[in-house]
Formats: sequence, structure tokens, C-alpha cells
Amino acid sequence: MLRFILRRLGASAAILLGASLLLYVLMVNAGDPLKDLRESNASNRDELIRQRIGFMGLDQPWYQRYWTWLAGVAKCVTLNCDLGTNRSGVEVSSLLANAAGSTLRLVVLATVLAAVLGIAVGVLTAVRQYSGLDYSVTFLTFLFFSLPVFWAAVLLKEYLAIGYNDWIANPAFTPAQTAVSALLFGFVMQVVLAGSRTRRLATFAASAAFVALVLPYLQWLNFFRYPQLGFGGVVVLSLAVALSATATSAGLRNKLVLYPVLATVLAGAIAYWATFGLMENPTWGTLALLLAAAVAVPVVLGRVLGGHLRGRATGAGLATALAMAGLTTLDHIFRAWPGFLSLKPRPISTIGSQTPNFGGTFWESFLDRGAQLLLPTLLLALISLASYSRYTRASMLEVGRQDYIRTARAKGLGERTVILKHALRNALIPIATIMAFDFAGLIGGAVVTEAVFGWKGMGELFRTGLDQVDPAPVMAFFLVTGTAAVLFNMLADILYAILDPRIRV
Amino acid sequence: MRLKRISKAVALGATFALALSACSPGGPAAPTGSPSAGSTGKYSVEPTNTGLADLGDITTASGSIAASIGEDEFISYNGFTPEANNAYNSVVTERIQSSFSYFGTDGAVYQNPAIGSIEKVSDSPLTIKYTINPDAVWSDGTPITTADAVLAWALQNANLTVDGKPIFNSVAQDLGDQVPKGPKGEASGKEFTLVYAEPNPDWEIQSLLIHPAHIVAEQGGLSTAEFVAAALAGDGAKLEKAADFWNTGWNTDPGTVPDPALALSSGPYKIDSWEAGQSITLTANDKWWGTPAATEKLVIRFAAADTHVQALQNADLDVVEPQATIDTVAQLEGLGDDVQILAGDTLSWEHLDFNFAEGNKFGGNPELRQAFALCVPRQQIVDNLIKPLNPGAQVMNAREVFPFQENYGDVVSAAYSGQYDAVDIEGAKRILEEQNATGVKVRIGYNAPNPRRTDVVAMIKSSCDQAGFEVVDVGSGDFFSKTLPNGDYDVALYAWSSSGQITSGENIYATGKPQNYSQYSNRDVDAAWRKLATSLDPAVQLEQTKAIEKLLWEDLHGIPLFAHPGITAARADVLNVRRTAAQSTVLWNAEQWLRAPR
Repeated sequence: MLRFILRRLGASAAILLGASLLLYVLMVNAGDPLKDLRESNASNRDELIRQRIGFMGLDQPWYQRYWTWLAGVAKCVTLNCDLGTNRSGVEVSSLLANAAGSTLRLVVLATVLAAVLGIAVGVLTAVRQYSGLDYSVTFLTFLFFSLPVFWAAVLLKEYLAIGYNDWIANPAFTPAQTAVSALLFGFVMQVVLAGSRTRRLATFAASAAFVALVLPYLQWLNFFRYPQLGFGGVVVLSLAVALSATATSAGLRNKLVLYPVLATVLAGAIAYWATFGLMENPTWGTLALLLAAAVAVPVVLGRVLGGHLRGRATGAGLATALAMAGLTTLDHIFRAWPGFLSLKPRPISTIGSQTPNFGGTFWESFLDRGAQLLLPTLLLALISLASYSRYTRASMLEVGRQDYIRTARAKGLGERTVILKHALRNALIPIATIMAFDFAGLIGGAVVTEAVFGWKGMGELFRTGLDQVDPAPVMAFFLVTGTAAVLFNMLADILYAILDPRIRV
Repeated sequence: MRLKRISKAVALGATFALALSACSPGGPAAPTGSPSAGSTGKYSVEPTNTGLADLGDITTASGSIAASIGEDEFISYNGFTPEANNAYNSVVTERIQSSFSYFGTDGAVYQNPAIGSIEKVSDSPLTIKYTINPDAVWSDGTPITTADAVLAWALQNANLTVDGKPIFNSVAQDLGDQVPKGPKGEASGKEFTLVYAEPNPDWEIQSLLIHPAHIVAEQGGLSTAEFVAAALAGDGAKLEKAADFWNTGWNTDPGTVPDPALALSSGPYKIDSWEAGQSITLTANDKWWGTPAATEKLVIRFAAADTHVQALQNADLDVVEPQATIDTVAQLEGLGDDVQILAGDTLSWEHLDFNFAEGNKFGGNPELRQAFALCVPRQQIVDNLIKPLNPGAQVMNAREVFPFQENYGDVVSAAYSGQYDAVDIEGAKRILEEQNATGVKVRIGYNAPNPRRTDVVAMIKSSCDQAGFEVVDVGSGDFFSKTLPNGDYDVALYAWSSSGQITSGENIYATGKPQNYSQYSNRDVDAAWRKLATSLDPAVQLEQTKAIEKLLWEDLHGIPLFAHPGITAARADVLNVRRTAAQSTVLWNAEQWLRAPR
């Protein structure tokens, strides 16, 4: 195994080196770095040209400049990277630190979202192969996949930002809007839930009626400007989670599970009031502590009260506690929403990763950053949804034809267990590779997204460098994305080798 | 002032001439009825000239106005080093560092009464008297004095050296030679004079107030008096530590506001906060003694130009200066009454230059140049590429003055008689036949890719090929590095951006000068430039400009085409937003912006 890893490592380094040389040569030949100055009429133009030649080392042949760059990068081994300066003499490493931070914020969330949604959709379409759902989801994911990013971004801004902002000023649904939403929701639900004709009809009617009633009710509540959940809402929803978790894990009659779970709900209800002041304006640190407590309490309760079923009790309790923590957080976010709206009457900006000089409480600035993160994340996730769902679908279908799946079914296992435990786990092995690759790809693929949404990230570094024929920032971009790509691929390979002994060479 | 000379605008205008851009006269000099809705701005006080309007007795309104001119990040409080000297940095530094003079919307020079006055007291030798406003103070309360002028002079003085190298890493290095003795006056006083070694017509735009001298002196371990004495005595070694501070001491990592005790403001605003990659916020300077900033906070966001229109629509930005493309204008117009669109020219202009290098068929043959000039469809180029956006655009018939400037009509009528206004294919054909040159190749070079220039060349080709020329498009990516210096072209198509200086054209048209790429040479032109550059009398300067323009037209040095267009847009409720052709961008009067009361 060690030899395998070392060999992969060596190959990766060689690939990176070759690619960096290639990129540097391409970059140096991409244009004239002094173009804007040559056209300038400034009296100190020669001085400026001289200075830029100095910063970019243009008086040296390209291989010497490349060597200087490579030597600077080699210093990274001693954690003392020297990535050179851009054409106006600014240290690229300081630019890179800022850029990488904001890109990672964007890409991590988008990758996770795309993976979770994509895998879920993939499983669903595999189970319902060749159904209407399968076809329409396939159509949609491919549509998203082939959307030009800049165009889709402009549309998102137009409808989800500007349109939403106009709407939220005075949120209301016309009867026609309510009717269309209800019908659409009903239609989608019956496609997703499927079943016999009567069942579909029932699903359709129930969902449509639900929407048709809920939308006017929410409007009456002025929910969109003053959303509320409240203590009652939190407790009722938590109880529902608690009971269903108990029911699925051991059955409602089983006191050994039911009591610790109900005790968890009680503890959560006390915590709701106990932490109320704290949660109104917390910090990330207090949130982490509270989360730790939310994990610890059901574990302790489960262990103490669960008896011989302590495993199941802990699991059900944990699910309940996490749901309750989430709902309590949501309640506080809801409480912060009106304040947020008065600070930022148009909640979703089309540019920037946060509103300048926002101020506000923790939750208000959380909402501000969240609102700014929403559109670019959505866009990135939509675009990579297709690959995840298609790969998962193909992989699921292939696994589904294996002998052991047939055996599992023959043993009389439930369909859910067969799909989720036996099929999906094995189908996920190739997805690991895709995910590693996709993450690295997204860092590079966020170039356009970042530019359109005004995030100063890696993409901006790359694009400006390219425009100005300035190799240092472009090479820094390459260093991060290239290394990420190679590293993640290697990780995937290693993981793969661990998961599947047949791969090992 | 020198900050403005560096032309980022050229890069933008030229590289991104994705096309067809808006162009309407910027100032009141060329009133042409533009039909686009709201093409004049909304004012609280109507401006009376191209300079700053007098807002009268106003108080600072709370609130903030957000503007963006592009995605480039603010770099440093010290925008006078080559590292930080660009338009994106100046939009911030010019708000917090006042100067004695500024450029109006048509590039005319105005004095800044808040800082003081400039007065010419003698022509020979040229002597300028500066009087600093008695109320003028830095934001730490220290009065602005002659010592600050000495710092400004010293850092533009390449004669202050250690080991033969200038100690100040400054974008301007020549004031020490121009004014060898430096500012004369009591260091702690409010008056000083400059005595120039040579006449300099651009005396009004010298930078003599840049940074606080007492801070630089203190950081260099000197008292202000010691600093002034050492600078005037030319003692580079003594100043070295202070110069080191000046070179880098104000620089901070992106997002870190420079220490407010060191980065003092002499303008209506001071730096409030800075979010790396996002925005920088300026807040009204409580020590500012002039007309107060109209709005308390000014947010300058670093947003790419292609995001501007939607950001304006969503009110994320209040004032934008995106690239002038046909799409941008169409989108802006689609926003209706929510925005005011201010189209106008910039001080960059497009031209065709003949190659006068030894042996070039055009350089050696005035008839060929004339024939080519006759068939270049200048009006059509402006009509097709510029006017769809702005009916006010016009063909440019001069080189040293722009159509929106005061002297333009005067200069053009003296220098040019309209002989190339209309395309004359027959005339061009006749000349070619007389010269026995039918079918002669014309290689037009430009910096590619540039769609607008490609279109210009295509239009010239379709017109001039009828007359018997064979136009060849030799636009390439290494136009400036290879084609132009090697002379591998017959006609060059590019732009100059004007610096606002009176004398900078000498570098282009006089024999053997560094920017005379086409190797043009005419003794009379040289002489006229010498006369202009050494005269301090505006009447003589105008006379010489006319003479130069006339000679350049007679010789057909080249053919001017049009001034580059620019576009500015603002939310309809923001008052006093005014476009400027100068390189100071729309933010030039940001301290006057005001949100209209509802």
C-alpha cells in the first residue's frame, strides 16, 4: 500500500511540474504585458514601463522567470512560499489567501449540496427507471448541466434576487398565483410519490389542497415578513420527530426507547428557554458548545435509560435532539428576520459576499451572508447536479443487477433495506472518485460564477492575471487548483484501493 | 494630478471595446439633442461650468451612497507609488487627499479654493505663488503648511539619492529638475513660491500637496523642521528612513484599514472600513473645513463592470461606470425611470497614423496618403459604430483638442477645411491612377483582439478597395511589441489617452521623440511645439496648437477618428452625479452626491 501511495505521489508531482511549465509558457505568450502602458500618453510612462519590467522580470528570458517562480514555490516546503508579485508589485501570496478563503466558502457548500441532492435524485431515478419521473429529472439535470453559467446567473439575479426583493417589499399572492402553485405542487408530488391511478389522484388532490390553503394562510399571518415558529411550534414538531424516530427504531410501545427520547424532548424544551438570551445574539463558539450539549444529552440519556436497547435509544434520541436544536435555531433566525429586513430592505444583493458596513446582530449578519451565498451556491450546485445524479443512477442500476442483491431480496429483506443498505453503499464507491474530481473542478469552474456575483475569489485572480498577461497570479491559481485536482484524485484512488481490494496493484 | 495621467481608461476602452459604444458630448460645449431618456443628470444645484458646482451652505446628510467603477481592489493610502498608481486606487485617495487643482468634466483645469490658490507672479523665471487656506488641517488637527509642499516636492525629486538611487519610489521624478530650489517659504507657514528653471505651461497641475509631512518626518525620526531642511538641502541620507516609511509604511494587507493616526485625510472624506475583495467605505472627515460632504458615507464597491446594471437595478449600487457597450446601454435604458444615464466622451481618441519610416510607400508619398484619407469613411464609422448608442457622437477633426472642449471649433476652423469630411472614391481613384499605384496594399495594424477596431478596418476596406487600394487587416496581439516598433504596417489604428497636460503631444509629433512611433518629422512642427512648450501665454499656446494641427493636416500625419465613448449611470434618486471625460472617473465630485429627499 505504501509503495502504491508513493508511486501515485511521484506521478502527481511530475504531472504538476509538467503542467506548470506548459501553463507558464502559454501565459508568457498570451500577449503583451506592457500594452496599456505603450498606448499611454503619461509623461512618466518610461518610468512606469521600467518599473513593471522590474516587477515582472521581463528583462529575463522566460525560462529564467519560470525557474525563479519554481524556486519560490519550492520554498513552500519550509512553509515560506514565495509566489512572486503581480505586475504592480503586490505580493501574490496575500492576494491568494483572501481569494482562496472566499472561493472555498462558495465551493464547499455547493459541492455538499450537489452531492447530497444529486445522489438522492440518482437513487430515486434508478429505482423508478424509465418512469415519467426518470425522464423528466434526466431532462432537467441535463438542462441545468448545459446552462451557460453567466446567462443562468443573470436569470437567477433577475428573478431570485431582483424579483424576490420587489416581492418581499409587499409579499402577496394573487389567486391565480396560488392556484398555479397548488396545481404545480400537486402534479410534482404525484409524479414523485407515484403509485396507482387512484393513489396519484389522491396525492395530487391532497397536495394541491394543502398549498391552496397554506399560501393564503401564510399571507394572512404576514409570514414572509414576520415568520414565526415559537416555542409551541418547536415542541410540537420535535415531538413528531421523537415519536417517528421511536416508531422506526423500536416501536412506540418500547418504553426503553420511548422514555429517553421523550426525556430528550423535555430537556430540549428546558434548553429552549434556558438558552433563549444566549441564542438571541450568539457567537460561533457558543453555537458549537450548544451543539455539543445537544449531542451529549441524548447520548447520556440513552445510555442511562436505554437498558439493553441503549444503542437504539441513543440513535433515536440523537435524531430528536438534532432536529430540536435545528428547529430552535430556525426559530431564532425567524425572530431575526424582521430586523434583518429593516436593515436590508432588499435582502438579496446581486453582488458581493456580504453587505458593506452591515452591522446587525449575529443572526442578522448570518442572514446577510446567507442571502449572498444563496444564488452562487445554487448555481454551482445546479450545474454539478447532473453528473452526480447520472453517475449514481448508472451505478445503482449496475449494482442492482448483482447476485447479492437478488440474494438479499430472496432472503425476504424489505425493499428499503435492499436499496439503501446493500445497493447504495456499494454504488457509492465510484461516486467517491467523482466527488474528489468535482471538488477540484469546481474551484476552477467557479471562475465565471465568482465574477458574475462579484466574489473576489480564485477565479478573479485567474481572470485578471490572464487579462493583464501577468503570470504570477495565474500560476498561483494553477498551484491551488492543480494541486487540489491532483491531490483529490490521488485521495480518491487511495480510498478506492482501500474500499476495493481488487484495485490494488 | 499626475495620478490622473496614468491611463487605465485606455486599457478599458481599448481592450474591452467589445463594441460599439455610447458617445455623446460630455460638457455643455457641444450641445446635441440626445434622445435617450434622462441623459442629463439631476442636480440639487445646477452646475454653471465644467468645474465643481457651488452647493452653498449644506450639512452632511446621514446615509450612504454606493458606487463602483470596476472590480479592482484598493491598494494603498499612498497612491503615488507605481505599485498603487491607477484609477481604481485614485478613486479612494482623491477623496481623502485634496490637491490645489483638479480637472473639470471637459479636462479643463480648475483651482481648488478649499486648499488654497495658485498664482503666477512672474514669467521669467516662471514663479508661482501658492497660498494655503488658513483653515486647512489634516484629520489629526495639524495645519497643512509649506512643509507638506516640501514633502510633495521632495518625493518627486529624483536628485534626492542614496548610492545614486532616488530614495522615493514615486511615479513622478522630475519636479526636482524643474524646480531645483524647492518650495520657498516658512516651513510652518501657509505661503510658498516655486521658481521653475524652464517655462512650464503645465504649472497649474503640479502636485504640491500629497501626504502629511509631519507624519513622514516623525516616522523617519526627524522633526518636521529637520525634514524640510534636509529635503531642501538635498540630504538624501538623512531622509532615507523617512523615505522608506513613505515607500511602504502606509501599505496594508487587503482589508486592513491603514492606521488612522498615520493615514491622515486632507479631503472631505476619510477611510472608515475596508472589506477585502468587496468594498471600501469612506466617511465624512470631521476635520474638513470646506463645503462638507453631502452624504456621510461613500461606499466604493469592487464589482466587475458586467454586474453593474443589475446591481443598479437592485439598488446594490447607486452610481456605476460600466464599459460602454451597446448591450450595457440597452440594458440601462430598459431600467426606465429608475436610473439616469449619463453618456459622454472620454479623453481617449482613436486615430489612423501613417508610417513615415524610411522606405514606406505612404510616408514618402503625400498623394497616396491623401487618396487614402479621401476614401476612409469616417462619418460612416461614427454613424455605424458609435451613433446607434448616441446620436451626439461626431467625427473628430483635431488631435490636441476634443470636440467637447471649448477651443475645438476655433482650432478646427483654423486647421482643417473639411476636405476629408465626405468619402470621395472617384477622387481617390484618380490620384491612385495618376500615381500609377492602383492595387497598392495598405496594411492596417492594431492591437487584436478588438472587435470595434476589426469593424473599423472592415469598413475602411469596403470603401477604399473600391478606389483601388487593397486593404489588409494585420491586427495582431503583438501590435505594440512588434508591428509598431518594427514598422511592419502602413497605417496604425490605435488610441491616445490625453493626460490633460498641454505639452504631452510634443512626445508624439516632434522628431525623434519617444512616442513618435510613426517616425514623423517636420521641422515646422518641431519648432511650433518648442514654442508651445516654452510659452506661458494661453493665446500663444492656442496659436501654436492651431499651427500644429494645420501642419499635421497638411502633411496628413494621420487621420483622427473619434473620441472614445464612456457611460455612467446612477439611481434616479441620487443628485449631482456628473460624468467627466477626465480620468478621475465619475467619482470626481462624489462629495457632492446626495440622495434626493423623498
